[in-house]
Amino acid sequence: MKAAIRHMMRNRRRTILTLLAVLIPVYFLVMMFGFVNSMMQDMFESSTRFDTGHMQIRAEETRATGSAMPLMRNTEDALAALASVDGIEWSTVRLDLPALASVGDRTRTVYVRGVVPEEIEPVSNMADRVVDGEFLTSSSRGVVVGEELAELLELQVGDEMVLLGVHPEASLGALRVPILGIFSAPEATMGRTMVLASLGTARQLARSETAATSIVIRVDGVTGPWDTTLLDRATTALRAALPLGYEVEDWLELVPFVSGYLRILTPMMLIMAIIFFALGALVVVNTLYLSVMERTREIGLIISLGASRARVMGMVLAEAGIITLAGAFYGALVGVGLVLIVEAFGGIPLWGQMADYMREVGISPVLHMSIRWTQVLLAAGAMAGVAILAAWLPAWKASKLEPVEAMRYVE
Amino acid sequence: MSNNALIQTIDLHKTYVTETIETPALRGVDFELHEGEFTAVAGPSGSGKSTLLHLMGGLDRPTEGDILLEGTAMSSLSKDQLAKLRLTHIGFVFQAYNLIPVLTVLENTAFVLELQGVVRSERIARAKKILGELGIAEYADQFPSRISGGEQQRVAVARAVVAEPSIVLADEPTANLDTAMSLELIALMRRLNEGKGATFFFATHDSRLLDRVNRLITLVDGRITADESR
Repeated sequence: MKAAIRHMMRNRRRTILTLLAVLIPVYFLVMMFGFVNSMMQDMFESSTRFDTGHMQIRAEETRATGSAMPLMRNTEDALAALASVDGIEWSTVRLDLPALASVGDRTRTVYVRGVVPEEIEPVSNMADRVVDGEFLTSSSRGVVVGEELAELLELQVGDEMVLLGVHPEASLGALRVPILGIFSAPEATMGRTMVLASLGTARQLARSETAATSIVIRVDGVTGPWDTTLLDRATTALRAALPLGYEVEDWLELVPFVSGYLRILTPMMLIMAIIFFALGALVVVNTLYLSVMERTREIGLIISLGASRARVMGMVLAEAGIITLAGAFYGALVGVGLVLIVEAFGGIPLWGQMADYMREVGISPVLHMSIRWTQVLLAAGAMAGVAILAAWLPAWKASKLEPVEAMRYVE
Repeated sequence: MSNNALIQTIDLHKTYVTETIETPALRGVDFELHEGEFTAVAGPSGSGKSTLLHLMGGLDRPTEGDILLEGTAMSSLSKDQLAKLRLTHIGFVFQAYNLIPVLTVLENTAFVLELQGVVRSERIARAKKILGELGIAEYADQFPSRISGGEQQRVAVARAVVAEPSIVLADEPTANLDTAMSLELIALMRRLNEGKGATFFFATHDSRLLDRVNRLITLVDGRITADESR
């Protein structure tokens, strides 16, 4: 071990190059994990807090009917089934209706989301997104609209608009409602089409006192996109408890583009990791080969003195092991350090088209980073493992040197 | 083989083969060495001295014939078994590049003991003792690059004898040394031979060394032409 360290010190440039070959991929992977984690968490928070919850109970065949969600005329039996399932943190009833919104001669197709404001407030960030005016209460007859819709219909807080409910299963209902507030939607499409109202107002529009389209549910302990075990357990239990006529979908099924991102991200990260690892391994092989070549006579001498092949391999691998472990450690350290620094400064704000795109798809235009220790260990451990495997080849070559030929070797 | 032969070569042949040329280096070498001998093999360049030493040391394999070391036929041993035989029975002193540059004099001396698995405290004690006996204890903590060629060869001798091998094989040990250093090294090896009974076998054409041996084998064109005791 002492000899390995002294060899490394003797060839500082090569040692530093090998160290960097391991350090840089680990650093990049930690950073990549950091960005992706944060982006996915952002998508999870936007979706589950504003829109989907962790899962929803809906009328059967909701997915097959397109934009208008089938009505549940009575939710009592579904709520009773929900109460029998363990691990449910919170739930609320919601009514989503397709509607026409008219202000003067301007009309837009929207959907009215009827909610129980007092119920959603503790867990949803809807109220926090109000940028002008105020949020709903159960007793308020007004609505809150997205910034984009307000701009399209030239609406301001205090103005009125006419809503015409056009759900195929409900009677036509028309209401004139005041604009109580304007909110900033997590993504632009939602901002152009969503009108928030109290459940009572929405039911008036549907001309039904008990109608609902979904029961939105949050599950205890689910805090991010990777907490799938608890979610799957609750979904399975709820499906078993519900009577016929209902279906349960989790947030990933409800927001297919997010689950699409998640599906793409894992192989993408794997491919990037493989590229990083392969490049790192190539440099490690190359530098160790050089090191073995330069020390051919020395290795020949050691074999002459009686060192076994295993011992010679062990010497080369020890050197590779020290460098790669140090590289992996410092790579992880630099990566985690930068993640912490970025977060200490409140993230990296994006600008221009990139920022607009991020807003459009519901992701914060400020890049945040978060990393889990398991991911740091995975990045560092995998790279160190790959590098040590790569070192096997030059180590094997060293162990196969013929002592007489090796000692005659001239650089 | 006579009863007390330490090493015996039997009809030893070695031919180096390249794509187009076959070069015979040894053409039937038979002799015995006994414990406590201080023997040299001499001959002109290309006579096969170094080849003979490499074969006796198990660093290379003969094309024909065999070598018995304390009754063990080297041809019957695998590479790893040969390595173990070298480690436990043979000490080497080479002409050049004898020491491991990243190890100190003490660590170089103790290296063979380390390979043998001797515990650290014992190998340090034994290495220090032999360095003291050879008068180079003061260099124990120096790296090879900081000491002279003669001192490096003395360290190589110390490493060769520290594990008390059956035989020390030395290939042109004085070739790179000036007269004073050569004489000093020869005296030192002679002292080890007489004092500790260490068996030495040299390949050399250094007359200063040849004058001190008690047996001289002459090799010409891969054959023994003379074998005389002195």
